[in-house]
Amino acid sequence: MKHKQIWLIISILLIGSMILTACGGKPAEPTLLRVWIQWGDNPAQIQELFDKYTKESGIKVEVTAPLEEDKILPALTGSDPPDVLVLSGGDLVKSYAKEGMVAELSDAIKTGGMDLNDFFPAPLNQCKAGDKIYCLPWGTDMYALFWNKDLFEAAGLDPETPPQTLEELVEFSDQLTKVGADGKLEQIGFLPDQAWGHSDLYIRMFGGFWYSEDGAHVTANSQPVIDALTWQQQFYTKYGVDEVLAFSSGWGDAYMSPDYPFYTGKLAMYVDGEWMTGPNFISKFKPEQSYGVAPFPYPADHPERASTAVVQGTVAVIPSGVKNKDAAAKLLAWMMSPAVVAEEMCVNANLPTSKKAAEDKCFTANPKFKVFVDLMASPNAKIIITTPISLEFNDALGLVEEQVLHTGADAKPLLEQLQSDFEPKLQEALK
Amino acid sequence: MGVLQKSGRIISWPWKYWKWSHHERVNFKQGMLFLLPWTIGFLAFTLYPMVASLVYSFSIYHSKQPLEWVGIQNYAQLLKDDLFWKSLSNTIFLVGIGVPMTLLASFFCAVLLNLKVRGLSIYRVIYFLPSIVPTVASTILWKWILNPQTGILNTLLGYIGVQGPNWMSNPVWSKPGLILLGLWGMGNTIVIYLSGLQDVPIHLLEAAELDGANWWQRLWHVTIPLVSPITLFNLITGVIFMFQYFTQAYVFRGFQGLGYPLNSTLFYSVYLYQSGFLWLKMGYASAMAWILFIVILICTLLLLKVSERFTYYAG
Amino acid sequence: MTTKHTSRYPEPSLPVETEEERRGRFRMRKIRNFFQSLFSHTLINFVGLFFLVPFLWMLVTAFKSNEDVFHTPPRWLPYDNVFVEVHGEQYPLYNVQTNDGVKQLAAIKIIEGVGSFVDPANPNQIMQFEMQQGAVRIAEPIMHISFRWKNFPDAMERGSRPGVGASFWVYFKNSLVIAFFVIIGTLFSNTPVAYAFARIKFRGSNILFILVLATMMLPFQVTMIPIYLLFNDFLGWGNTFLPLIIPAFFANAYDVFLLRQFFRTIPEEMCDAARVDGASEWQIFTRLVIPLSIPVLATVTVFTFLWSWNDFTGPLLFLTSPSKYTMALGLQDFQSQRTMIWNQLMAAATVFTVPIVIAFFFAQKTFIQGIKLTGLKE
Repeated sequence: MKHKQIWLIISILLIGSMILTACGGKPAEPTLLRVWIQWGDNPAQIQELFDKYTKESGIKVEVTAPLEEDKILPALTGSDPPDVLVLSGGDLVKSYAKEGMVAELSDAIKTGGMDLNDFFPAPLNQCKAGDKIYCLPWGTDMYALFWNKDLFEAAGLDPETPPQTLEELVEFSDQLTKVGADGKLEQIGFLPDQAWGHSDLYIRMFGGFWYSEDGAHVTANSQPVIDALTWQQQFYTKYGVDEVLAFSSGWGDAYMSPDYPFYTGKLAMYVDGEWMTGPNFISKFKPEQSYGVAPFPYPADHPERASTAVVQGTVAVIPSGVKNKDAAAKLLAWMMSPAVVAEEMCVNANLPTSKKAAEDKCFTANPKFKVFVDLMASPNAKIIITTPISLEFNDALGLVEEQVLHTGADAKPLLEQLQSDFEPKLQEALK
Repeated sequence: MGVLQKSGRIISWPWKYWKWSHHERVNFKQGMLFLLPWTIGFLAFTLYPMVASLVYSFSIYHSKQPLEWVGIQNYAQLLKDDLFWKSLSNTIFLVGIGVPMTLLASFFCAVLLNLKVRGLSIYRVIYFLPSIVPTVASTILWKWILNPQTGILNTLLGYIGVQGPNWMSNPVWSKPGLILLGLWGMGNTIVIYLSGLQDVPIHLLEAAELDGANWWQRLWHVTIPLVSPITLFNLITGVIFMFQYFTQAYVFRGFQGLGYPLNSTLFYSVYLYQSGFLWLKMGYASAMAWILFIVILICTLLLLKVSERFTYYAG
Repeated sequence: MTTKHTSRYPEPSLPVETEEERRGRFRMRKIRNFFQSLFSHTLINFVGLFFLVPFLWMLVTAFKSNEDVFHTPPRWLPYDNVFVEVHGEQYPLYNVQTNDGVKQLAAIKIIEGVGSFVDPANPNQIMQFEMQQGAVRIAEPIMHISFRWKNFPDAMERGSRPGVGASFWVYFKNSLVIAFFVIIGTLFSNTPVAYAFARIKFRGSNILFILVLATMMLPFQVTMIPIYLLFNDFLGWGNTFLPLIIPAFFANAYDVFLLRQFFRTIPEEMCDAARVDGASEWQIFTRLVIPLSIPVLATVTVFTFLWSWNDFTGPLLFLTSPSKYTMALGLQDFQSQRTMIWNQLMAAATVFTVPIVIAFFFAQKTFIQGIKLTGLKE
């Protein structure tokens, strides 16, 4: 009898102490702020950056980067969300806002003393829904064409002259694609969906988008969308979809490693962002790489579309379930201050979203980076249009893209299907 | 089941507490006290979640607002959902092809490991070792092996003149690749079969040999029927397990979207996870969970019924 | 007069065979046995390769250098750069085509396609060469067969989120801590429950046991979402080890089943004798049954360790900070962050696997015995 009682007491104590330690660990005052970032080019450097805030304010900031896709929603809706969440792109913010997951930032902007006029209008646009603001941009990304100068030389092309038109791009790619004696690919000239899909850029280059400019309609079956997907398809079907897929298998896995095909000479040209010219990518993984950057080619019959690029990029949101809104607002304001923006963007080679920060000399020092600065200032810089159904629509569009590129399927019927599936959903969501 | 052998009555209902003898009451209290950990666990981690998920399955979950009751809307939407049917067919492929293959292969291996070969214990260790490699590690290893360009599987196939397929990005070959991964780790099934094989009474085998049966006839007429209870056990546990297939598919697709390529690895459990945690449709996902439960239940009962004709219980 | 002896039993009429024939038959049997044995040896080896080769491949890759990992066709032995020491630092050696023929030079620095080389014999003169002119590679690294042991500590230091306080050492430690507590909870909670079902005759024990078994058939997806919401939102235990440890203290159907089957092999008479002597159930349990059950408890410990070390879904749902990740989650994270450094990944996977293999070898005997004793065929 006695043993049993002791046993019961011990187990109750054990469990009780565990519960107490769990509950007791939540302080009332913020001694710790958490910032979660979806991308992770150089998490150590970002933690150092936020340590500066700790010096200023005395509050410790814990950075978690990068973040898995399926941790974002639980992060936003959990009972213990991070104080600031930094997303790779702003296209899902309207979906989150619709569900009430992100805080409307007008109050936070006042509390933090931020100057909205300091932000470039294009990136800020993806955060605005009417006159409500749900996020703030923290660095803009632009994409351009990267090419391997050594491979150009080997193929007999002038290494300093990139293709100017889409037709030239196809021509160059053919010259740069090598098939070995055994019928297997050894080198690919251009692959449109490395390191991830860039349909938004291509569709813009063909003169359209999958939403109407006011975001009120889905235009997935419009001609530019069909043309862009069909144009991309040839890079797979010309050499055999299976061969290309086999050759490029696992490339995406190696993006942040020296094995990326652009570094190993397996891929001659592809589309990538401005961060590649910075310290975290080419310089880190293959410093001996001889490469060039240029605006993505335009269609020969539409020279007025030269230097078209899509303005998108990192945005920061405050989850609506945040416990201490003032502390989060102050942290956000510090992040958006021109000095911090300048430092963060300079170190990582990202485009600044703050006008004052853009005056920093570091942005024009690197000629390769300057290509992107010019793209951002170009009159053809296009914004991305976002809607509340972006979450599901993007996945569905991605599936269509995969089917068109990786199986050679016909783009038109798939896009028609997409259109009829999602137009009613958009109308429903906009009510 | 052995459960039912002890008491004279098949099931003893704890009715009519006041009619029990003192002895029975004391025993009951003791039993309940010993059972306390399980009882609390059952209420908190089994019963409550089951009821809760049933309720969720009839509602739409909003993160900051109360639950919205919608009746059978989730279930109706599921039936119209292409991805639901795709994930179900993917899973049925795995169950229908993967499980029988695993049973056949592991039985074959168990027979091999029961032969008189020198160094048998070493072979047994080798066959069993992959099954204790943690799932994540073995999945990543097989991603490496199945790489169409640099993986050894396609290289080895190349030696015998076969053009290895695109295991990773061809939707036709991604599931077979996963089945291969599963076969590599079937060591525990082999061990269970092996212990069953070793319990086959030798005198029966000898008698058959004297009667002039060759090894194949001995296998077919003596061994296989005698291990049929084990086959049933492996079959049922295999089916239950395969329906819940998740980890390998999640790790296999790397950084690509769930279900890559082209939703061929979108298994039922993966789609459930995607709906619940990627798209926050927790009610929808709960409905999927209950449908899965019912499907597994039906399959198990069917298997038990059908197996009555084929299994042989010695003694 | 001689009488013929007739034995009571008829003589068996065997075909009489000559010594020749008998030896011939014996030889045939030997030859047939030889071929059978050859066949079974070949088969068992062939199938064994299927199980063994991936293992070996994992180990070999773990020792390869970065450049060697993607060598096509894949090589069986790891190759690594040849390093040479210049001014106290190690630099890789390259074959460089210079104007005076091919020389072996140490590469000090390589930026944007131009390499600075130094002759190790003459370390103060720096020569610059373009790495590649057109299709012609001017400088090629010299490789030799070498095991890069450094991959292992590198991989362990690394983890998937460098700089955020998370490395594979941390993941390893987390996995150990969780496994430890889970084992304790499992042992403490399942044994009394199993004992009750095995040896206490109380009303309703049979229905309850059927209920326990029924819970084994419940797919985890059914309870996953409410349990996630319970732990995360309701109790606020998100991002702690608690959701992974606490449930272990409340018994589970598998271990209850296993232990119950074993406890039933302990003779009823012993327990009855103890009861007659006035011992309480608790005393029988602790003084009699547990000491006799050490083998099966060891089996349960090994099974539980295996399960906990391997567990992926639990950590996936409940652990969000990399500093709390377990090794399973860390490995998956490593490969999903587009930083596929295969050799380090394989090294980490090897480290992940080693404790299991060790645990298995220690418990091998009790393991197999445990399976047998539970009488699975019942």
